[in-house]
Amino acid sequence: MNTELLIQNLHRASSSQELLLATRQLASCGAEAAAPALVEVLGFNNPGAAVAAVDGLIGLGQAAVPPLLQLDPENYGARAWAVRALAGIGDVRGLDLLVDALGTDVAASVRRAAARGLGNLLLDGLEPTERHGVLERCLEALLAATSDGEWVVRYAVAVGLESLAPALEPHGAGLVTLHQGLVALTRADEANPPVVSLRARLALTRLGQP
Amino acid sequence: MANVDASPPQAGEPISEQEALRRLRQRDDPSQQYYAAWWLGRMRSRHPEAVPLLLGALRQRRPRDPGDGVEENAVARNAARALGKLGPAGRQAIDDLLAVLDDPDDGLREAAARALGELGAEQAVAPICRLLASGPQQAGAIRAGTPRLMEPCEALLEALGDIGCGSASVLAVVEPYVDHERPLIRSAAARALLRLSGEARWGELLVALLDHPQLQVRRAALMDLGAAGWRPALEPIRRTLAENSLKLMALKGLVEQGSGEPGAEALLACMDELL
Repeated sequence: MNTELLIQNLHRASSSQELLLATRQLASCGAEAAAPALVEVLGFNNPGAAVAAVDGLIGLGQAAVPPLLQLDPENYGARAWAVRALAGIGDVRGLDLLVDALGTDVAASVRRAAARGLGNLLLDGLEPTERHGVLERCLEALLAATSDGEWVVRYAVAVGLESLAPALEPHGAGLVTLHQGLVALTRADEANPPVVSLRARLALTRLGQP
Repeated sequence: MANVDASPPQAGEPISEQEALRRLRQRDDPSQQYYAAWWLGRMRSRHPEAVPLLLGALRQRRPRDPGDGVEENAVARNAARALGKLGPAGRQAIDDLLAVLDDPDDGLREAAARALGELGAEQAVAPICRLLASGPQQAGAIRAGTPRLMEPCEALLEALGDIGCGSASVLAVVEPYVDHERPLIRSAAARALLRLSGEARWGELLVALLDHPQLQVRRAALMDLGAAGWRPALEPIRRTLAENSLKLMALKGLVEQGSGEPGAEALLACMDELL
């Protein structure tokens, strides 16, 4: 079936089950023309279909970024799914949205996806100055979120910091503050569950001394 | 006062500990007491007045009168829930919570059972077993005209697992509930048996519930596997159809409560993928 037909099927779906099936089909077709329709699905308040659409959008990669960035910021539900898609794609055009989501989103599941995404942006091909600026913003946002109130977000911050580290200048000041952020996450007290502390220690072990 | 039994909003108005204590102390507005009791539990208050005030609120109940609203019992229920979250300080409340296990209000018995479980109150094992002893056909029978069971079985079973006294007589009371008609009760019974005996067959029963067609049941099985820390469930947890948030909570339980294989690094790698 061609993409046009798959999109028509999606728009004709009259039950949540039909919508889920149509989204799965469109998500697996791999055609860039599917991106805007998949982004539309993020706003339908159907979690199963949204999961399938996010998978499809991540599969499309950079081609999915422009329609994702055009989403209405007032459509909160769709935006939360878009953060997950952008975190998975890793395109630097999503930087502003990810930083904003990590710092301000009310849902821990969105903040946690944003934290993971900020450690995974694709930096190859950027000019050195731009690359440096992007890394600084990622680091700053992740460090600020080491004091997030939800354990799962702090866990994701530990993962994000670990994946960000190899992109930073060896022995540079950035890497030192990154280590300090991870050390802060290893603290063992009532408010910081063992799993977060364990994950941060694992990151420090893998990274070695700055 | 509408909808007094709903959870207060997560992002409720921020109040100070002093303000929470003041609201709980006054008796004119039960909705303020209700919120204050919840707040003290949520914040795990260590203020010396918190336990005495919550005990006062727990005693502030009366027989159910359908024409009279349920405000006062709603305050008592939230007080019971809060006392369960106060750690060692909350243990002063054990005798009062034990007394509440005989209250005619189902919701209050349920809240007291959960609190006694969280406090690890060994004194509660015998009275909880007494409530469950008549088995799934009686204590676990559906109360006509309501969705509730005769006893709050799910909370009672979970409390036994939390308290952790796995004598043969306790296991014998719990075991019949793995055949209860409701999957959530089967899940709670398997969770308690797994925690009390460590026997793999109860973990396998929970893993089987991860394939249940109802999302609500799969979610409960996830939470129960996490509470028991049963690490062989890693792969089934990864595969089940449920929100990543719940899978992450379950895996946190496997890391923190469990031991053996798969090891912590494999569990953490799976968590990383679910973020």
